[in-house]
Amino acid sequence: MKLLTHNMLTSHVKGVTKGYPLLIKATEVKVNQLDFNPQFVSRMIPKLEWGALVQAAEDLGYRQDLPGELIADYEQNEEFLKKVHRVLLEVEVMEGCLKCPESGREFPITKGIPNMLLNEDDA
Amino acid sequence: MKSDLSTESRKSKEEKKVLRKQLKASHTLLKHEGVCTTPQPTKSLVIANGGLGNGVSREELTAVLQEMGEVEKLLMPPHKPYAFVTFRSEDGARKAHANLNGWKLQCGESSITLYLSYVDSVKCKEGASVPLPEGLALVEHFVSPEEEAQLLNVIDWSPTQGDVTAQKSLKHRRVKHYGFEFRYDINNVDKDKPLAAGLPDECVPILQRCVEQGHTNVLPDQLTVNQYESGQGIPPHVDTHSAFEDTILSLSLGAKTVMEFRHPDGRVAAVVLPERSLLVMKGESRYLWSHGITPRKVDMVPAEAPRADAPTEPGIQSNLTLSRRGTRTSFTFRKIRHEPCHCAFPSACDSQGAPSPSPGPSLPSCPADAARLEEEYVHRVYSTIASHFSDTRHTPWPRVCHFLSSLPSGSVLADVGCGNGKYLGVNADLVGCDRSTALVQICAARGYHAFVSDALSVPLRTASCDACISIAVIHHFSTAERRLAAVKELVRLLKPGGQALIYVWAFEQEYNKQKSKYLKQIFKEDHGEFSSTNLLSEKSQKSSGEKVSDLSCHLENSHKPSDMQGVSRVPDARLSVHTNRTAFTSQDLLVPWHLKGGKSTVPVFHRYYHVFQQGELEHLCAQVSGVKVKSSYHDQGNWCVVLHFSII
Ligand SMILES: C[S@@+](CC[C@H](N)C(=O)[O-])C[C@H]1O[C@@H](n2cnc3c(N)ncnc32)[C@H](O)[C@@H]1O
Ligand SMILES: [Zn+2]
Repeated sequence: MKLLTHNMLTSHVKGVTKGYPLLIKATEVKVNQLDFNPQFVSRMIPKLEWGALVQAAEDLGYRQDLPGELIADYEQNEEFLKKVHRVLLEVEVMEGCLKCPESGREFPITKGIPNMLLNEDDA
Repeated sequence: MKSDLSTESRKSKEEKKVLRKQLKASHTLLKHEGVCTTPQPTKSLVIANGGLGNGVSREELTAVLQEMGEVEKLLMPPHKPYAFVTFRSEDGARKAHANLNGWKLQCGESSITLYLSYVDSVKCKEGASVPLPEGLALVEHFVSPEEEAQLLNVIDWSPTQGDVTAQKSLKHRRVKHYGFEFRYDINNVDKDKPLAAGLPDECVPILQRCVEQGHTNVLPDQLTVNQYESGQGIPPHVDTHSAFEDTILSLSLGAKTVMEFRHPDGRVAAVVLPERSLLVMKGESRYLWSHGITPRKVDMVPAEAPRADAPTEPGIQSNLTLSRRGTRTSFTFRKIRHEPCHCAFPSACDSQGAPSPSPGPSLPSCPADAARLEEEYVHRVYSTIASHFSDTRHTPWPRVCHFLSSLPSGSVLADVGCGNGKYLGVNADLVGCDRSTALVQICAARGYHAFVSDALSVPLRTASCDACISIAVIHHFSTAERRLAAVKELVRLLKPGGQALIYVWAFEQEYNKQKSKYLKQIFKEDHGEFSSTNLLSEKSQKSSGEKVSDLSCHLENSHKPSDMQGVSRVPDARLSVHTNRTAFTSQDLLVPWHLKGGKSTVPVFHRYYHVFQQGELEHLCAQVSGVKVKSSYHDQGNWCVVLHFSII
């Protein structure tokens, strides 16, 4: 699971009102080298929940020195974009789980894939 | 009939395309059929696509071939999508090769493109025909045309109240019982409850004739009348032993059909039942062989009279042609059995402890049933067939791609039910989810963003997406409530102003007189979403048939028996098993998937589908608040809508 995906996911357990962001409990994290595409990263940034991304990066130990608030004019800031590229696309949680912040329900991540299926009773 | 394909001067694009297709066809023929073509001109050609299996009749094909030269013989192997022609002279063959490659032959409503290649020798392995099952007899001209008309008149099909809509919307054979009602839910008759209506008087002289001619010793006391429109059929079944005595008599009226008999050892005998004929099933043919009618509009039957221009070789059953089905009404007379059956076929005898055939899945009657049905007949199947399924799905549909590329870059997009990620590669803004872990793993291995979740509960925030797609997913939900819930969940993800594209499989596979690719000929790339692979293989057809009989999908589905007399359009909620590449006969069905290999040992998997009728998808979406159907269309056998969401 890349952090881009994590940034979109929310808990959908029945009755939960504050299910975002999901907490990450990682037992295996991998970093892949991927081609850096500044345009792609620039256009991803506005659709992110910035705070959630930084928190997730922090939890995994890959925050680098990303600011808590999104900076202005990042399109021109290649160094910044490279850091975002890293946390967004290169860092990948391979094993572990995602935890609903409200209900505590855990969703396993296996071979890099989050399984968000609910049981009948919590659907 | 001059085709500009032969004009030497222009090596047009079209010409090159034909050449490419011709090579591809000869390659396919070699690989799947062992037909070996040669580049050197000979007197004989194989005509790819020009076969009975593709809906081409002997007459239609002969007509174009004769314009090329004198035809020595035309061999049309049964069920095959190709034919062989031998000309008197090599010159005729050359002409045909030059002029008919790429030729579009008009066959009924559709047009078929022919590709020809030379062959050294013409062999037709489809050998001697299977002998009739033991105990089966066919008596032609058993009733006169007058009697036929009289009998057809006896049956009152006029709809009873409440039946009107079912009659219009569902394409099922009609059934009516006299004497006793056969209950499809228990696979037996209620012997203590005779129906008010006994056998019609008009049947008496016919039945007396049966006794006089020695077809039966006892007068039947039960009659089932079935009416089949063209395209309808009945799944293979053995009439329940404990319900009826040995002899079963069946009159065919109105039109002919082909009935298939299957022995448990795999033998299949196709028997043409001409109009006004009497079929007598006794002994092995009644107790052990199953019988059924494949739903289709055209049958392969022996050509009426041997043709001078196309003589058949002795022993080779290739003198076949096509016969379009009309409306056939059958009168099946049986005698109720009151003692247990003591037949010599205990393996098929419910009186002798053989398991009465397991009833197979039915349409769900409660939400828990629906979830269970989908679990077994959708999710488990996709998990099992994932890698094979993925191998057959590479070509994204152009109109879906067009939708995806029309969205501004940087949009937040979700593909709900993304399968192997076919569309995730089309637009990098997409995130995918699917119920099948195996398929999501394929997406991940390709570097796409995807997770496992159910389309009824997607773990994405409300109003977070600019657009969503749901391609060929919602037809896997087995109740109207669940299909609606799936649309609602998709719409929940949309920002105000967002759009959703939904594709579902269409009941109407022929639209605007165009057959969908699913039904079309086979010497073409498989663009179709729903192509299964072994369509060339006879074996796979048979194995699906066998599956049907052990599921005992006795009849088509939905809607209850409707009136006292036992008239019913769809007497059972059991799901029917679809015959691949044929028109649909019901809206809720199981579609067989044949794993690669084509061996009879390879198991067949069945996926549940609800195929949508025209307008049904729009109607479903209109029930979701805030949604406007921006456009709707038919694309490659699917009904499709683009939805627009706005805050109300
Ligand atoms: C015919 S495939 C289509 C796949 C893909 N959309 C495409 O066009 O190639 C149907 C897909 O729907 C998925 N599916 C079926 N029921 C589902 C459900 N309840 N939730 C999520 N996915 C489901 C299946 O796992 C399968 O991948
Ligand atoms: Zn028996």
